[in-house]
Amino acid sequence: MKKLAPRLLGSFTLLSLALVVWLGLFVTPKDQVQGDLVRLLYIHPAIAWVALYVSFGTAVIASGLYLWPRSRSMTMDRVAHCAMEISVIFIALTLITGSIWGRPTWGVWWAWDARLTTTAIMGVFEVGYLALRRANDDPVQRARRSGVYAIVAAANLPLVHFSVNWWRTLHQGATVLVQNGNLLVHGLMLFDTLYSFVAFTALFFWLLRARYRLELARESGASAALENRLAERRAEGGQK
Amino acid sequence: MASTDLDLSPVAAPTIRHRSRWRSIGVLVVLVAAVMVLLSQGLLRNLNYFDTVDQVIQQKAKIGSTQIRLEGVVKPKSITRTATGASFWLTGSGDHQIFVQSAGTPPQLFQADIPVVVVGSFHGAQGWTFHGVQIMVKHSSSYIAAHPNRVKAPNGTSR
Repeated sequence: MKKLAPRLLGSFTLLSLALVVWLGLFVTPKDQVQGDLVRLLYIHPAIAWVALYVSFGTAVIASGLYLWPRSRSMTMDRVAHCAMEISVIFIALTLITGSIWGRPTWGVWWAWDARLTTTAIMGVFEVGYLALRRANDDPVQRARRSGVYAIVAAANLPLVHFSVNWWRTLHQGATVLVQNGNLLVHGLMLFDTLYSFVAFTALFFWLLRARYRLELARESGASAALENRLAERRAEGGQK
Repeated sequence: MASTDLDLSPVAAPTIRHRSRWRSIGVLVVLVAAVMVLLSQGLLRNLNYFDTVDQVIQQKAKIGSTQIRLEGVVKPKSITRTATGASFWLTGSGDHQIFVQSAGTPPQLFQADIPVVVVGSFHGAQGWTFHGVQIMVKHSSSYIAAHPNRVKAPNGTSR
């Protein structure tokens, strides 16, 4: 069962992404106004969802669990670190796919409106988290400082989410997480949009698992290297 | 066998250099600077990206000839494309509308009955023609499948 679950997750992720891409590129209709540009709808919102809520959310929750004495463990710190790394990649993809859509639709690659600016700031915060971890050698100190940082950085998330409601922005309002629940996407376009959220969320968990295993291997490799060096030193001391 | 040459006398503790603390502070300083740069590009000037036709008509005297971003819906059957750009009427609520003369090629999705944001200015306090230098199409979160038999509204649009 332990080995079956990851394989099922991997297969599910691959098949789901393939379905989203196939529907998005070949089956769903063109949009009345955007034409084929609408096809980016099937990846951009889902990538943003993973970047800002799933991945960053996981990092913040894991950081909180580390800082909370009852649930403190290096596992939580590792999960936070791995999730934040994935979030950085996804937020970069969010901005890139958004720009690719924005150029022919809006007429510009970028606009300094509230949504885009706060999203870019979130990206800077996330890179800052990784830089902060690199600046600290002591594992406990690193875990504590980056944990506090992640919690503070989370204050930007409501600004990103509600920016399109609070201020007048070039970026349109929410496509799926609409306040009144009245989605303005219909038919197969709606199905593919919603299913892309499922597919990319599965992708996140698959990546998180892989990155976590890599982190464990790196830590045990570092420990083994240290043990080897100590053994060599002891052997040198014995030979003198 | 252990060597008898080993010196096991106590030594003074090395000076602890708080490198990681200073590196952390350095990271935070760079981070704050980066965020301030991003904020200065947009949010520190104006949280709202544009002014609507209704707002501009109300605040025309205060705006003067300052460059602003004007948002409105392109009035159907008002677009005239010229060699240097396009002219059209931008509508707000009710009868509010502003005439726009814009230079440069409009974006690919520019058309009647679509919200747009025009960057430009009025020439002088009395002029009511908005001279645009850039047009951006403000797409909504509505996605309608293209269909050849879709019913058109009386004004000629499909919305």
